[in-house]
Amino acid sequence: MPTAPVYLDYAATTPVDERVAAHMARCLTRDGAFGNPGSSHDFGDAASALVESARAEVAAAVGAVPEEVIWTSGATEANNLAVLGVAEYYGDSGRHVVTLRTEHKAVLDPCRELERRGWRVTYLKPDGGGMVQAEQVAAALKADTVLVSVMHVNNEIGIIQDIAAIAGVCARHGSARLHVDAAQSVGKCRLNFSSWGIDLMSLSAHKAYGPKGVGALVASGKRRVQLKPLQFGGGQEKNLRSGTLATHQVVGMGAAFELAAEGLDQEAERIAPLRDRLWRGLESLGGVLRNGDAAHTVAQLLNVSFEDVEGESLLAAVRPFIAVSTGSACTSAAEPSYVLRALGRGERLAESSLRFSLGRFSTEADVDAAVAAVTRAVSRLRRIAGPRSARSPGMGSP
Amino acid sequence: MNYSELTWRHFESAAAAGVLQGGTVRRGSAGSPTCGTWVQFDVQLGSGDRDSIIEAVRFQAFGCPHVIAVSDWVSQAAVGRDLRPVLPEPVAALRERFGVPVEKLGRLLIVEDAWIAAISPPDGGVTAGFRG
Repeated sequence: MPTAPVYLDYAATTPVDERVAAHMARCLTRDGAFGNPGSSHDFGDAASALVESARAEVAAAVGAVPEEVIWTSGATEANNLAVLGVAEYYGDSGRHVVTLRTEHKAVLDPCRELERRGWRVTYLKPDGGGMVQAEQVAAALKADTVLVSVMHVNNEIGIIQDIAAIAGVCARHGSARLHVDAAQSVGKCRLNFSSWGIDLMSLSAHKAYGPKGVGALVASGKRRVQLKPLQFGGGQEKNLRSGTLATHQVVGMGAAFELAAEGLDQEAERIAPLRDRLWRGLESLGGVLRNGDAAHTVAQLLNVSFEDVEGESLLAAVRPFIAVSTGSACTSAAEPSYVLRALGRGERLAESSLRFSLGRFSTEADVDAAVAAVTRAVSRLRRIAGPRSARSPGMGSP
Repeated sequence: MNYSELTWRHFESAAAAGVLQGGTVRRGSAGSPTCGTWVQFDVQLGSGDRDSIIEAVRFQAFGCPHVIAVSDWVSQAAVGRDLRPVLPEPVAALRERFGVPVEKLGRLLIVEDAWIAAISPPDGGVTAGFRG
């Protein structure tokens, strides 16, 4: 019987931690806290208490206060609420947004929507390693800039942006609010929402061993950032996100974030050597390029381009043995990664890249299996393609 | 992307991958790695009164699993056939046989071009069906 492929796609999603699942299960059935958290009776109060406890756990994990946490269905909704909600609220004072070319589609697509509505958006180009300097952000700000949106940890290459420095630039500007997509950050590196001076921050549970279908937007109370809601109904979440709260989901997110914060340092210490072992194994193939500045990358991600290998064939060849991604799992695999293209990689190298993302359950054996699978696949595909010198158009001589 | 069993089998084995050498071998290629697909066929002909019979074929390919699989199948299916500037099966039939998505039709045409280039007369003459 064939063995299951080794899972190295934790940046796409993570399995729910069993401890988290146990917390969630206690909110579902008749003997648990199944009540509507908005109801004014004992069942509602029991659920509401769990929701508020989870809110406090999420806030503590990211350096915010509980009142700043707004539950959403995930980071995509949080990003939409941040970008479009700020634009709707502050549209009379300015119609310019600054963001990065390497942002997630959940930020880029709302920005495109703003452009359709007549807004101007500046898309900053990172350097070859994926970093954007605070000075670049400063230079892009206009008098009517109302929002800067920067991803903390990039979902494809794992680059960590200097959010505190960018927040300083925004603060000096005065009216440019800073939104940070931190969907990939929790459990990978430390977050400090308040002390960094962030106005808005998007979070996701399922990237951190919590359930899919829940996330949060953290909105600074101290900095009094305002939003217009995108959906209307029961007025939950201070009228910013109507809809009955999914108690089991937010409880899962709270538990997952608490665990992630507790194990943050040990996790990085354990995974960094695995990532390095993976890189050393792949590098020995030759013709292998690491994407993203290694000095500013989280331990969990390794993005690699393979020369002289066609991307779809590479992914197909390794698929029986390892579960990895080409680019982001959230976009179509049919197109080369726009993130790698923004870093200056050519189309072919962007296509022939693999994102390995390690996580809580990754082991040395997993890494060795991945190295073996990729080595077999790349060697075989290069053999089928023949030497690079032979691949010129037209007829040749045998 | 999901691949048909036939595609997967030929992609995995690629038994005909390689090159041939010798005076009776014709070589032709089409496409370009920079465009994502490149295919080369080496076609070995018989000698004497069998000089129009294909005795062996090898291919090299830079491309998706469908390109590799179809090239491998063509290489095997052509053995023993007369030297003619057509694939053992038309591109449309190959697309159906391997379950190739319509958006990849252009890649199969590159396979066909490489085949025609390989078995065209050595003086470079162009035969019917050639796509430059």
